[in-house]
Amino acid sequence: MAQAAQKLVAKVPKLVGAAVTYTKPRLATFWYYARVELVPPTPSEIPKAIDSASGLIKSYQAGRLGQTTVKDALRNGLVATEVLMWFYIGECIGKGGIVGYNV
Amino acid sequence: MVPPVAVSPLIKTARYSALIVGIIYGKMRYDHLKPIAAEERRIEEEEKKAREEHERIAKQLAEASEDTILK
Repeated sequence: MAQAAQKLVAKVPKLVGAAVTYTKPRLATFWYYARVELVPPTPSEIPKAIDSASGLIKSYQAGRLGQTTVKDALRNGLVATEVLMWFYIGECIGKGGIVGYNV
Repeated sequence: MVPPVAVSPLIKTARYSALIVGIIYGKMRYDHLKPIAAEERRIEEEEKKAREEHERIAKQLAEASEDTILK
């Protein structure tokens, strides 16, 4: 029993080394994309965002909704769903748990 | 590797504001639900005590009134 525990403890640095070698390139790829795609907006980009939003509203009022292709509609639907999922992730962070409220 | 896509600022602001709104909403809902759950637990404790008291009394009565000689 003690010998088995000792052998396990001796294997831990090797396991940690293997885990690091496995994750390093994947972490590098993730970081490579995340640094451009997942960064929060800089303060200078927020007016541009407000302009795009008002542009969206104007094009909706101009009746261009009927001219969107199905492909565009599907793509916009997916993007909207992704933004909605960020809300649920924020809710999970705020309530301190993944499933349900731990009251 | 495919070069990373430049995400439109509208999507970026929408994502991060949704995240922050979600965090605030989760915190507020948790703070709202916590005292309600504590209250329910307290009421459940009291009712459980009252119920156990009644069961104890009923058991005592039943034991006293059963007529068997196997005691």
